Amino acid sequence: MEALTPEQTPARLCELSADARAAVLLDAAGALAGSSEDDPDRARALGEMTRELMEAVDAAGGEPAEQVEVQVPGGAVYASRNPRWTLAVVARRSALSSLMLWDLRAVLGELDGAPPIRRAVAVEPAQDGPATEEAAAGESPVPELGAELEP
Amino acid sequence: MRERRKGPISRAAGIAEGVAATMRRIQRDREPRVLLYDESGYARLLQPEARGRERVLELGDEMVRLLDEAQQAARRARRAG
Repeated sequence: MEALTPEQTPARLCELSADARAAVLLDAAGALAGSSEDDPDRARALGEMTRELMEAVDAAGGEPAEQVEVQVPGGAVYASRNPRWTLAVVARRSALSSLMLWDLRAVLGELDGAPPIRRAVAVEPAQDGPATEEAAAGESPVPELGAELEP
Repeated sequence: MRERRKGPISRAAGIAEGVAATMRRIQRDREPRVLLYDESGYARLLQPEARGRERVLELGDEMVRLLDEAQQAARRARRAG
């Protein structure tokens, strides 16, 4: 399995979330490291605005925010950061905040080497004999998290 | 416990109250706002008087508009040719 590169990261986020319209990744210095936009001017503009937005958030004081949600009449902007990267996405108005924020964090994790996140998958029924209480006790109560699929 | 409404007028008034409450909630959800989350996921609403809030909203709006304009331009180009 290939690791996610900074250039691929914004596109990966847009692939995961149907409500993501465009995403950009900034490095620790605030420079554009990747964008889902093909148009370089638009990618640069989004990167620049993301950098400014995070600076404005920091200027607001209080505890430094790890994630930001900005709701405006035409849509929403979400951003998530760690010491190395800032990933921001422009989303549709209908986007669910908790899902967007979770996807942002998960994709940043992938970039830092965590295994890729998976959506719910159907679990194949066990092939090795009849179901027993002992076997059931070892199963994850949330099969879509994939506990049974681990080698 | 919620009082049970008796009679058609009272029930209609109950429905109207429910609709009004839903409209208020939708209206509130559409208001521009900035939420900041810490590492544990705890959310903090940036108050209207907070420094930088207006700029954050302005930038968020600009980012959304940038994509809207690009989308409209692409649509126009498709139609034209």
